[in-house]
Amino acid sequence: MWSRLVAFFDVKEPATPLALVRILAGVASFLTLETVWRHDLVRLIWTSADNGGYRPIKGDWFVQLLGGPTEAVMMGLVIAGMLSSLLLMVGLGGRLTALVTLQLILSTTDANGHTGGSYDEVLSNVLWLVLLAPSTRTLSLDCRFRTGAWRDDTPVAGWVRFLLLWQLILMYWATGVQKVSAHWVPGGGFSALYYILQQPTWQRWDHAWTAYVYPLTQLGTATSWFWEVSAPLWLLSWWYARTADRPGRLRHVFNRLYVREIYLVLGLIFHFWLTVLMDIGPFAICSLAMYPALYSHAEWLRAGRWARKQLPGSAGSAAVSTAL
Amino acid sequence: MTPKATGFPVCVLNAEISVTVVKRFWPHLRALLILVHLFAISVLAMPAPGSGLNRSAWSDPTVTAEFDAWRERLASWGVDYTADEFEEQLWTVAETYQGGVNVVVKPFRPYYRYCGTQQSWRMFVAPHRNPAILHFEIHEEGEWRPLYVEGSTEYTWNGELLDHDRARSAMFRYAWSSYRRDWRRFSSWFAQQAANEFPEATQLRAYYWKYRTLSPADTRAGVAFEGAQVGRRVIELEDLRNGDDR
Repeated sequence: MWSRLVAFFDVKEPATPLALVRILAGVASFLTLETVWRHDLVRLIWTSADNGGYRPIKGDWFVQLLGGPTEAVMMGLVIAGMLSSLLLMVGLGGRLTALVTLQLILSTTDANGHTGGSYDEVLSNVLWLVLLAPSTRTLSLDCRFRTGAWRDDTPVAGWVRFLLLWQLILMYWATGVQKVSAHWVPGGGFSALYYILQQPTWQRWDHAWTAYVYPLTQLGTATSWFWEVSAPLWLLSWWYARTADRPGRLRHVFNRLYVREIYLVLGLIFHFWLTVLMDIGPFAICSLAMYPALYSHAEWLRAGRWARKQLPGSAGSAAVSTAL
Repeated sequence: MTPKATGFPVCVLNAEISVTVVKRFWPHLRALLILVHLFAISVLAMPAPGSGLNRSAWSDPTVTAEFDAWRERLASWGVDYTADEFEEQLWTVAETYQGGVNVVVKPFRPYYRYCGTQQSWRMFVAPHRNPAILHFEIHEEGEWRPLYVEGSTEYTWNGELLDHDRARSAMFRYAWSSYRRDWRRFSSWFAQQAANEFPEATQLRAYYWKYRTLSPADTRAGVAFEGAQVGRRVIELEDLRNGDDR
């Protein structure tokens, strides 16, 4: 058992999924800080009361090292964080950039525990895993400078991809099983989503109209609750897809029914509607940053080839047009 | 043949042995570290009441309505509790469970804190049936004038700040009585802005309008919302202009 586990964590694969996670994590980090900067919120939420903020805050060890949460220090961290996020996106500076971005995100978003959300925790978890991964090996400026090409398919440690998947599934499952309200669980009318949409805190606009499509909100409640609670099946489907050449009836059924893809599509629909109907900050992009880890380098290459064929003027689309 | 006999420096040989040992054992050590990471983050993500273990929060109408719903469900299964018994039983179980979780996660606290691996996925645990809308008003020329009403497109004073999701996260908290002290700080901060911005204004009135959300049937029937002001504060702006920010 132990030797199989050691071997599993020793598997090497090209870093394409990790690079895609890195790029999206960079986008998420940038947006997290950019909106605070653009809305001029630094003084109100991340500065201590004796420096112009509204409540006493101390800041973490790094903020303390810089002299405490003054407006100048916190604004400096926000700007530095936006710059390091851009470097993370383009893949310059290797793991050091991920380390710097992680620390800057922690120092800012943790400064005032009352002005954040779970999206901060999602983001710091993703950045920690990006830090552990050699994610600038490919699709990065580092790669370009090192090899003269944008892509380098040299295999790297694959275990970080597994940790990303575990993190993603853990998040969905944990939030699902903690939805203990009678409005969420079966037998309670599945009215949770309807009532959550009536809460003014997270509304993008007034959602009284949902009273007229109430059954749709019930369907949304039931689907999202089941999707979250059963998220471990998503991890299992990933494993079955990875080991598709092995025997087993359940493995065969999962792969035949595209269970992994069903969960993926439900996840995309879930985040799309959450983002359209509710203003919950960068939660969608922080969560979706982990999605590229669901697929291997080979699968991403296949997806890329398929996408290129769909582009107007490509050989594939020309052939289709001719056939039609 | 000893290293000395070969003329090969002992320290170089030791270094080579060390590299060999590390190469041999690194996969095992790495697997162990990965398992520790997985355990640490998984145990912290286990369902737990967390900050929800709060007596004043349990007296909120949204929470008491949830307890009543579960009590009714248990009664339909033949398990009867009075409201007080149910709350006491639940408190005891939750407190004991949370205590156990705290013991298990304690060794990993530095890991969560310094590496950013905190896990608390208590997101939309229950719909808040009794939400609250923030209001700021000023007393000017003998009458009260609304400045900011949460969600309004008409009263949008400092909306650039207050409508951001991070500010709304704080505003959501401060409608709960357990955050009374921070509500005072938050409203005082905006009173200071009003004192500077409206020199003729004498007072700022800050409050939440707490109401019960309507059921789909009530919304369709056009039933009016019922609510009341909570957390109401009237702050003298002249005091703030004179430097007294109490």
